[in-house]
Parts: sequence; structure tokens; C-alpha cells
Amino acid sequence: MRTIFFTILFLFFAGSSGAIELTYWTSSNPEEIELGRLLVSQWNQSHPDVQVKMQPIPATQSSEEVLLAAIVSKTTPDVCSNILPAIMGRFTKSKAVLALNAFPDYEKVVIGRTGSKLADLFRSRDGKLYQVPWKCNPVMLVYNTAIFRALGLKPPKTYSDFSKAAETIAADRDNPGRWAMAVSIKTTWWQRLFDFYPFYVAATGGRTLLCNDSAAFNGPGGVAAMTFFRDGFKKRYFPMLGFSGNIFLEGKTAMDVAGPWAIKYYRRLKPGFEFDFAPIPVPDSYKGPVYTYGDPKNIVIFATTKYPKQSWEFVKFLTSKEADLKLLELTNQVPMRSGIVSDPFYGGFFDKNPLLRKAARQAQYVVPMDESQHLVQILDIISGQFEAAAVYAVITPEKALAIAAKKTQALYDYW
Amino acid sequence: MKKLALYLILICAAVSFIYPFLWMAFISLRSVGDAGAGSFLSSFFTLQNYKAVFMEIPIGRALLNSAIVALSTTASVIFFSSLVGYALAKLRFNGRETVFMIVLLTMMIPGQLTLIPLYTLIVRLGWIDAYPALIAPWMISAMGILIFRQTFISIPDDLIEAARMEGCGELRILTSIFWPLSKPAMVTVGIITFMNSWNEVLWPMMVVRRQEMMTMPQMITTFSVGGQSGGELGVEMAASMLLIIPILAAYAFFQKYFIEGIASTGIKG
Amino acid sequence: MTTGDERKDAIGYAFTAPYILFLLVFTAYPLLFSFYLVFHSWDLITPPEYVGLKNFYFLMHDTDFWQALLNTLIFLAIHIPAQVVFSIMIAMALAEKIVAKTFFRAAFFLPVIISGAVVTILWAKLYSTDTGIFNQLLGLAGIAPVKWLTSTSLAMPSIAVMATWKNMGFYIVLFLAGLLNIPAHLYEVSKIEGTTRWQDFWHITLPLLRPTMLLVVVLSTFGAFSLFIEPYVMTGGGPLNSTMSVVLYMYKHAFLFQHMGYAATIGFALAAIILLVVLIQKKYLDSD
Repeated sequence: MRTIFFTILFLFFAGSSGAIELTYWTSSNPEEIELGRLLVSQWNQSHPDVQVKMQPIPATQSSEEVLLAAIVSKTTPDVCSNILPAIMGRFTKSKAVLALNAFPDYEKVVIGRTGSKLADLFRSRDGKLYQVPWKCNPVMLVYNTAIFRALGLKPPKTYSDFSKAAETIAADRDNPGRWAMAVSIKTTWWQRLFDFYPFYVAATGGRTLLCNDSAAFNGPGGVAAMTFFRDGFKKRYFPMLGFSGNIFLEGKTAMDVAGPWAIKYYRRLKPGFEFDFAPIPVPDSYKGPVYTYGDPKNIVIFATTKYPKQSWEFVKFLTSKEADLKLLELTNQVPMRSGIVSDPFYGGFFDKNPLLRKAARQAQYVVPMDESQHLVQILDIISGQFEAAAVYAVITPEKALAIAAKKTQALYDYW
Repeated sequence: MKKLALYLILICAAVSFIYPFLWMAFISLRSVGDAGAGSFLSSFFTLQNYKAVFMEIPIGRALLNSAIVALSTTASVIFFSSLVGYALAKLRFNGRETVFMIVLLTMMIPGQLTLIPLYTLIVRLGWIDAYPALIAPWMISAMGILIFRQTFISIPDDLIEAARMEGCGELRILTSIFWPLSKPAMVTVGIITFMNSWNEVLWPMMVVRRQEMMTMPQMITTFSVGGQSGGELGVEMAASMLLIIPILAAYAFFQKYFIEGIASTGIKG
Repeated sequence: MTTGDERKDAIGYAFTAPYILFLLVFTAYPLLFSFYLVFHSWDLITPPEYVGLKNFYFLMHDTDFWQALLNTLIFLAIHIPAQVVFSIMIAMALAEKIVAKTFFRAAFFLPVIISGAVVTILWAKLYSTDTGIFNQLLGLAGIAPVKWLTSTSLAMPSIAVMATWKNMGFYIVLFLAGLLNIPAHLYEVSKIEGTTRWQDFWHITLPLLRPTMLLVVVLSTFGAFSLFIEPYVMTGGGPLNSTMSVVLYMYKHAFLFQHMGYAATIGFALAAIILLVVLIQKKYLDSD
């Protein structure tokens, strides 16, 4: 009798000490895992009744695949902070994520933090916001300051500047066989996010690939960007490599295209490596601020959550001022917080890390990818044309982009 | 003279078929620095590439997965194919010839037609990243049924009559009489099934995403294509060697069964 | 019908029931579902959407699909004749009285049992423009490096050569069996008439090998249309889509773009094409 009594008592308390448990998925990036662990343990300490369990998405698969598979098998977490806005189209179509306007203070929190100009970029087709803009990694030109100093070069602002710099690098007798920049010849769809797309965004003053479900990339800006790469391959500014490895760190190339997350990567693999950031080069005739691809990652709350209110509180915590500072420190990526450059709270950090200040300034002029359910296929199409026009130069950039636009149109016509 | 030319051709051909594997084995045993040169002149052999493979990728787990999948599939195919083969050869029942026709027909369906729907079925069953996805669709093979039927037909009926008179059930007849008498067929079916299951890579690539559940060829392919080997030739070759050593070992012992078995499936096809 | 017969029937059914169940689930259902899928658009996470014949219309206009088909036909055009010619040659050599037959047979058969993934990885290294053995050997002869896998005109033929090498052992064994089946006395007759070996080959051997040849051709065709791992590992379908096989293309649509309906349509079209090609082959090669 006594054992039964105590068993029931035990079960009663075990059940009701019911701390709510939220699952939170992060990227598999080591720095983001570190950030996640820090923030989660801070939260868990101050919220004994709402415990968060963190789980990084496995590194061997693309997180898009993992998330889609989770949606199919209904094993989605409560919160995930590794959402590529581009795939939101499929998430919202399947009603897998919660619309943020379910939470009364979302305007104040989200729009207040990010500012409406940038936040609007992430609205879905129905005008609602389903994702919390979290961080971005503005893609910029990185250059080896030691090499540039030795050759008396300044970071190129226009395509002509780039050509001149590349010629100087190639003519350098002391370092024969050095290339200006490595551009991958692989046709994997996301490869273009680090060559064609940022240059296209810069050349067009911040346009994305599509406009009203129709290709916009075959305009003059797109042609200019594609021509830049074609000339680069033709004049041998770029080596013909699929996998470039650490060619930039080894000094075999003078420039690279990357976002500020690379800072930690470079410093870890080659301490003492001297580098700096500059905006992406633009066509000579371009005037205005230089835009780029933001490589943003956002936070969503999945519709399968049993605790939307608590999940929302956790998300607010993840995007608080202090959390954003930790984000800067640990991952070297830029929080989507408007006015961050002039905010004294972050002044100390930026003083110690001028490169991040540059990145944060650039973060005011970023665009994401289009939220189209055909996005992967469109990038794949563009990649194929990139291979034909830029890498192997078998057709002109105009023709290539026209073909890509036509194929893109077919996607929307049929599906 | 003619014979000499004949031997020359055969030897040259045979060398061209074996040499690439020897090269692969050789490179896998060479230290990282020299992997680019293809000559046999260096004298330094090392196991460091193999060590690197075990450290960099969970190959042990992949080996286990491949073993579990291949052995389960083989056992299942032998058991069920012999079951159906026996029924088609020795049992009389309504619709027996229809079943036989169906078996023949299924061999003519191109796999490409059913690949995608089969994948969606696996998704619906919730078997992604699970062993059943790798084993279940291949549990019974038409080829196996045909081979067993062929073998069983040639076993005289009197053995069965005698056993039935003694009150033996059909299942016991199959397992205690026919199985022992058809060892060559069992070995053949076993080897072919095992080999195909072990080497299969497209299907695992479709239904397995998690690294812990990958099979060996899948892991080696991912390792190679994904650039994780970092261009280290020796390590890549060591990984490939690990994949083929079990099959090579089996081939060394059962070479006759491999060759004649696989050839006979071709003829029957 | 006596109870004895019914009992016999029952046992037969019992023994074949697992197989029938298996067929229904893993063959019949996918077959039927593929007929359903080709008329729908489905991305796995939203319900399938009926699209009528749109998938077929898209297929007609899909230049990438036709390119993939062309690539496969190029592969076939090289692989099948090479396979037939070389396999017969070696089989004939092995049919003669020579020692170490088992050794030779085992040597030729070796690549057949090795995983296609390994063979592909291996040959990718051999074909490498800068570090591969083939170019190194050519270099010794003073020939410039050949772009085996990075030239649009050479990439697919290079893959075809590798595939021929891999499967030749299998076809050698088949031809050997076919050759040994030819009654020796047929050749005795020709000895009396004093025909040359070439005439023997052309008028006796070859016609009697026709069934085996048909088998070899049909099996190579099935193999060619299943080409996947080779382009996937060696070239990813490039350069410029010259090595994209139909199965690789189907895989891309299913797993990269999640177009289940369209991928099923590709599979469907491919199966129809295979059957058509095999029927044509049978018509021209089947013995009269």
C-alpha cells in the first residue's frame, strides 16, 4: 500500500513539476552552436519553468532538406534559427510556420528592431511576416592587404578598377601564377550566391532575381555582371577550379568573395593573415550605394509547437540587445538591427572590430533571395547558363540570360 | 606462333583489367605526400590513410549498416525465393502458372518507372533513414525464384512422396530435403544478392539522409564527391579499398559461383 | 474437388502469399502510383495538385531532358559495339586451348563485382587532366594532356569506355558460354571444305552467336539507360550537361527541386523509350 501511495505521489510531482520543454534547432556552424549554447543556458537559468533543449542541424545535409523532411514527418522543433528566407515560400505554402501577427507585440519587437525597410523584404506573398529577421552575412569583396600593399593597389570599386588590379597581379614577376580571384566553375545551385548574385545585386542597385514572378535578371545589370565573369575567365583572372580549397589563404589568389563570418575562419586557419573588406565592384557607369546579397538567416516558430507564447518569449530573448551583441562577438555576423552602427551599446565592440563595422554598414544595403517555390531550380538554370556564358564562353551573356529567363518563365507557366 | 600472339593479347588485356585496382591498393598504402606520382618506385608503405579514414568519417558504422542490410536481404531472398520456387516447382495449386508468368513479367519492368513512386511510398511509411527502407523493397527477387524453381524441378518427386507419406509438412520438406540438395543454387543466389545489395548506391542515396544510417558505398561516394577528402588521394583510395575488400575476399573463395551464377542470370534473363 | 486438393491449393497459396503481398506493396502499388503521379504536381509537403497533361507538355519542351536522352544514346552508340566486339574477341581467345583459363576469366570478371562507385572514383583519378595516369603515359610519348572529363566532346565517351571496361567480363563469360555451345562438328565440316578461319567465323560462329549477341545488346541497353553513379561522381552531369544521364536528371528533379510528379513523368517516358529500343533491337537481331 505504501509503495503504491508513494509511487502515485512521485508520478504526480514528476508530472506537474512539468517544466515546459522547447526544442530549438540551430545551424551546424561551430560558432553558431557556441552562441546557441550560451544563450540557451542563460535562458534556462532564468526560466526554470520553460527549459530549452538545443540541437544543431546535422552538418552532412543541407538544412533545407532536414527541415523539409521534418515537416513531412511532423517532427519539427518549436523554434529554428537557421532559416534561409528563400525557402520560406514552401514553408508558408504548407502552413508549417506561425504568422508572427499572432503575437500582439510583434510590431514593436520585430519592426522596432529591424526597421520596416529591411523587415518588409521578408514579408511573404500574403503580406504577413512569418519569419523574424535575425542576422545577415553581407557578401563583400575580401582582399589580401599584404599583396595589395606590395603592388600599390587599392581595393577595386568598378569593373575597370578590377581589371587593372587583375592585370597588375598577373604581371607581377615576383609571384607568377597568382590569380586575381577564384570563382567556382561548379554548377551547384548555391554557388552563384557567392559570385553572380552579389554582383548582380550590386550592379542593379539592390534588385533580386525576380520581379512579380518574372525574371528580372536578364536586364542590363544582369548582363553586366555576367559579362564581368566571362571576361574574368577569358582573360585568366580566375583559375578554372571547381573546388578552390584555401587558395586565398595560401596567397595564390589576391581576392575572394565572402561575408564577415569568414573573419573567424581566416584567423583560425591562418593566424596573422592580413585582409580587409570592400564593397562588391560595380559597373563603371553605376552610381549610388553598393548593395549586396545579405545571406540572411531568420528565426521561425513552427506551427506544430504546443507552446507558442513561450516560444515567442524565447525568440524575443534571442533577438534582444544583449543577445545581438553576443551574436556579433561569437559569430561575426551582423544582427538585423537597424541603427546598430550608431548605437553606443555596440560602440565598444565596433571600435575593437572595425571590419565588423564595415560589414554592419553594408548590412543596411542588403537584399535576400526571392521567396519563390522555384528558387532552387531558377538558380540551377542560371548556373547552367553561367557555365555556358562565363566559364566556357560558348554563348553571349545576353543570350544566356535570355535562355534562363525563358526557362524561368516556363516554370511559372507550368507549375 | 599464333598461340604466342593469343597469350600476348590475353595477358595485356588481363593486366589492363587488374592494374587499376593494384594502383588503387598501392596508393592507399602510400603516405600523403607522394600520392600524386603513380610509379611503383617508392618503398614507403603506411597504414596512415586507413587510420585517417576511420577518424574522418564514421566508416565503421557504415560498414555495420552495409553488413546488416546485405545479410538481411540475402537471408530473406534465399528464404522467400526458395519458398516460392518450391511452390512453383513441386506444389500443385490453382493459378500456379499465372504466378509464374507474373514472376517473369516483373523482370521486364524497368526500375526507372517505379523508383520515384517507391521513394514516395517509403516517405509515407515513415521509413526514411531506417533499415526497412533499405531492405524491404528487395526482400524477394524474381531471379532467385527462377533459379530455385529450376533447381527444384530437377529434384526427383519420389523424395517428396516418401516424405509426405511419413506425414512431413511441405515446409519441412523444403527445409530438410530440398535446401541441403540445392546448396549450389543457394550459394549462387546468396552471392548475387549479397553483392548487389552491398554495391547498391542509388537507392540508399534516395532513402537515407542521416550519416549514421548510410551504407558504405553511399558514404564513400559522399566522402569523395563532397570534397571532404580534401583532395587527399591516399585517403580516398583507402576508403574505396575498405569497401571492396569484403567482396574481393568472397570472390577469392567463391569465384566459380560468382561467375557462373551471374552469367546464368544473364542467360535466363 | 476433394478436400485433399483444397488442402494442396491452400499450401500453394500459403507459400506464395508472402511474394504476392510483396509484389502488391513494392511493385504493383508503385506502378499504379506512378500513373497517378504523372498527372500531378507534388512536392511532398503539400497535397498533390492535379495538372492534367502539363507534365508531358513540359517534357516535350524540356531541352535538358532531350539533351540527357541524347547523351545516353551517345553512350549507347559507343558502349554497345565496343562491348560486343571486344567481348567476342576475348571470348574466342579464351575458347582456344590455353592454360590458366580460370585465372584469365577471373581477371576479366573482377571489375564486374566491384562496386560501381569505386570503379567510378578510381577512373576519375585515372582520367584526371593534370595528375591522372592516362595523361602521364601520354606525356611520356610526348602527347599533350587530354581533357578526358572536362571537354564536352570527350566526357561522355570517356564514361562509355569506363563502363565498357567494367562490364566486359560479364559479357565475355556470356559469349564464352555461347561459343562453347556451338557444336564442334560444324567446324569439322569446314575443315574438309578448306574454308578460312575468317569464313568460319563469319558463316558459322557469328550466326550461331546471334542469340547471345541479342542478350548482350539488350542487357547493355538496360545498363546504359540506368547510368547514374558514373556521371554523378565523375562530372556531376557536366561539362555543359554533356554527361547528364536521364536517371541523373530524374534524380535532380526529385531530390533537388522536389518535383515528384515531373520526376515520375521522366521515369515513365524513360521506361517507354527503353521498351521501344529493346523491341527494335529484337526485331533486327533475333534469329529467324
